[in-house]
Amino acid sequence: MPVEFEGSSVMTMSNSASGEASVSSGHLPAAASLLPPPKKKRNLPGMPDPDAEVIALSPKTLMATNRFVCEICNKGFQRDQNLQLHRRGHNLPWKLRQRTGKEVKKRVYVCPEPSCVHHDPSRALGDLTGIKKHFCRKHGEKKWKCDKCLKKYAVQSDWKAHAKTCGTREYRCDCGTLFSRRDSFITHRAFCDALAEESARTQTNAVAVAAEKESKLEVTAPANLQEKQMAPPPPPSDQKEPENAAGILQYLPQPPLAPVSMCSNSSCTTTSCGSSSLFASTVATQRTSFSDLIGSMGRPEVEPPSLCLSSNGPSSLFPPAPDRRQFPALQPSAHMSATALLQKAAQMGAAASGSSFLRGFGLAASSSPLAAGGGGEAQWPEPASMSAGLGLGLPYDSGCAAAGLPDMMMGSASLFGSKPAATLDFLGLGPSGGANAGGLSAFINSIGGGGLEAYSSGRSSSPVKTWDGGGGDVKANGRAIL
Amino acid sequence: MQNSNFFLQQGDPSVANKWAANLLKECAKAISDKDSAKIQHILWMLNELASPYGDCEQKIASYFLQALFCKVTESGEQSYRTLVSAAEKSHSFESARKVILKFQEVSPWTTFGHVAANSAILEALEGEPKLHIIDISNTYCTQWPTLLESLATRSDETPHLKLSVVVIGGGAGGSVMKEIGQRMEKFARLMGVPFEFNVINRNSSLSELREKEFGVKEDEAVAVNCIGAFRRVGVERREEFVRMISSLRPRVVTVVEEEVDFSSNRDDFFKCFEECLRFYSMFFEMLEESFVPTSNERLMLERECSRSILGLLACGADGECAERREKGTQWCKRLSEAFVAASFSEDAIDDVKALLKRYQLGWSLVPASGDSSGLFLTWKEEPVVWASVWKPV
Repeated sequence: MPVEFEGSSVMTMSNSASGEASVSSGHLPAAASLLPPPKKKRNLPGMPDPDAEVIALSPKTLMATNRFVCEICNKGFQRDQNLQLHRRGHNLPWKLRQRTGKEVKKRVYVCPEPSCVHHDPSRALGDLTGIKKHFCRKHGEKKWKCDKCLKKYAVQSDWKAHAKTCGTREYRCDCGTLFSRRDSFITHRAFCDALAEESARTQTNAVAVAAEKESKLEVTAPANLQEKQMAPPPPPSDQKEPENAAGILQYLPQPPLAPVSMCSNSSCTTTSCGSSSLFASTVATQRTSFSDLIGSMGRPEVEPPSLCLSSNGPSSLFPPAPDRRQFPALQPSAHMSATALLQKAAQMGAAASGSSFLRGFGLAASSSPLAAGGGGEAQWPEPASMSAGLGLGLPYDSGCAAAGLPDMMMGSASLFGSKPAATLDFLGLGPSGGANAGGLSAFINSIGGGGLEAYSSGRSSSPVKTWDGGGGDVKANGRAIL
Repeated sequence: MQNSNFFLQQGDPSVANKWAANLLKECAKAISDKDSAKIQHILWMLNELASPYGDCEQKIASYFLQALFCKVTESGEQSYRTLVSAAEKSHSFESARKVILKFQEVSPWTTFGHVAANSAILEALEGEPKLHIIDISNTYCTQWPTLLESLATRSDETPHLKLSVVVIGGGAGGSVMKEIGQRMEKFARLMGVPFEFNVINRNSSLSELREKEFGVKEDEAVAVNCIGAFRRVGVERREEFVRMISSLRPRVVTVVEEEVDFSSNRDDFFKCFEECLRFYSMFFEMLEESFVPTSNERLMLERECSRSILGLLACGADGECAERREKGTQWCKRLSEAFVAASFSEDAIDDVKALLKRYQLGWSLVPASGDSSGLFLTWKEEPVVWASVWKPV
């Protein structure tokens, strides 16, 4: 079954530039979904939902930008005319309700480059912008060069972001974004997925950060849990560390008292229990990573104590006295600013947060309206062609359209005498029943969708080329209806 | 273009460049005069010339045409609802974050209010061990990370912060705020600020909010932050809303609103139209100069404006569709009923000045004078956003 996407024609790619048959529609191969999660490295991007529809776009289609986005369905088009044609199809608002009824299928995208890991449907990425940027960065020509440092970029927006801050002081988030302004960096950091994805690592980081604040030691924090699992468990470097941990933990919204007894034992299972209750408020996607974590912890090479906050005993984890003044370590100290903390946390999170796994799943599905503009190279159409836009694009319904024809709208058809044909063709009515409605009422009706029959029949007979011909040609084609 | 010269042939070229404003004014005038022939003619021309993807003039023409058309066909409320539900459908944490953070990056339009309000709140609550900030605003908490950071880094003891955020309309807004709340909690933990986050979900309008919903405790030092909040309360219920805020017994109230009057002229279509055209022309021009031409974030902001324009011009004067903004002087009159105007400290003003330096030229800071208080953000000499701080009587 061909997949229609983004208003362009069916993406059959068997003859695409890569010479690779890469349209696969329907479901992911069963093998992909059968892969046991623990075998996957957590930080590899692209672990699509097995139910998602796999979309393979040719490099050309992929790089084309769909500037014109329907505000009703977020479909993107490369040309305004196509959008205008498309908009007539929305019989608003009832069509809208229809659409909300059915579930929009999740889509994942594979890279058109056959040698790329993301060419495999099991490693497809969850959003179009993501795959576009990936394709550009990894397989595209680096044609954007920074004047100051000669660094080259394939994606113009990367280059622009770099040029803005090149040579100035930079704040770098582990999502890769650079900031020259501290406050933007702080705000970004709070909202960035990189922070959300840390979930499991947060506690480790927080402990490490707190330890660093306290002891001024250069603590080499584990970049992620995997590394940590492989490494021998770090010996408790400082007696105060558990205190810090406790200090951090007691600021959790709901102090997790229940798992205390379980934490006295440092087995894997207990640790995971502790974690999940510690982060009881985390969202479902994070739970996914937890289960992953738990799964991987089951493997023999795992060294449980390294994961377990409570290796020094539960009493220090959950101190009986909740007065935070007991824990001076938590007070921000002069030698480490909060920004430095942020950056430290960013570094520590870096290795794993490159993963677009979570993003691909939960978030990208809703980001489609913005995704279409990722290329940033779209040209604005010339005003001349723009003026063809009929479409008030008004969401309109039949009852309303009928009511909305006050006398004054009927009276002066002669005003339109100068270009009646244009009227007709703008509406895309063609030689159809719509003409019977007469003059402006037809105009209004069809804009609104009140004249549903009129223009839907008109649509089939109205040649698409009238939309392409520009103003002059359009006038010549129509049949006068006034 | 031929036909439009009919209206453009007189006057100097600089006026002719503003063809959209000229045509739209003619049209609004014709609507006031009920001159149906003229209305039709101009609507037709506008339709030929307008495009939401064109230059500034074309965009203005397109969105105002939509509103005027709905006004003429009395279909405003319905179109408004459709546009809002379409917007809500695509509303998500991801999209809101993208648009808001990008806008903050390129323009001080929103960050001006955040910095001014944060400075005022931090000063007013200095030394208090338990802070409770009640946030009735449209900022999706983007204001708070820097405040959390300030709390974490200041020299005295880090206080406990409770943040109560009001969300209107439930649905997507509620789930978006839930996600934001989780991030705020994580971020506060990272910063080492003891933190509690509450969401107050309202399906009805802000005027229905009641004091007890906020769960204010005796030992909390309360700040109420209202950014773009008052304009969402119906004009008739604003006094009541001020009283409700006052009943929370806040130490400080910060109010930020856009400087435009859609309230006193709400029964005079043409006057309201002119003010609307003035404000949104300026806003669109500002967007054009701030964003790159192909920015989708900009398109989203413009669409938000288009809904406001439609609500203001084509929906009933008393309907809930329209956010009837008022100017600083008008708000001052209302707020003075329950509060005393305070002034921003030198430090706060320095913070705002430092902020503005980072944006392109054209932005500056002007203290309010005469019978209003507070600060104005100006763009090309025109006051556009007003920020103020209020203390209990």
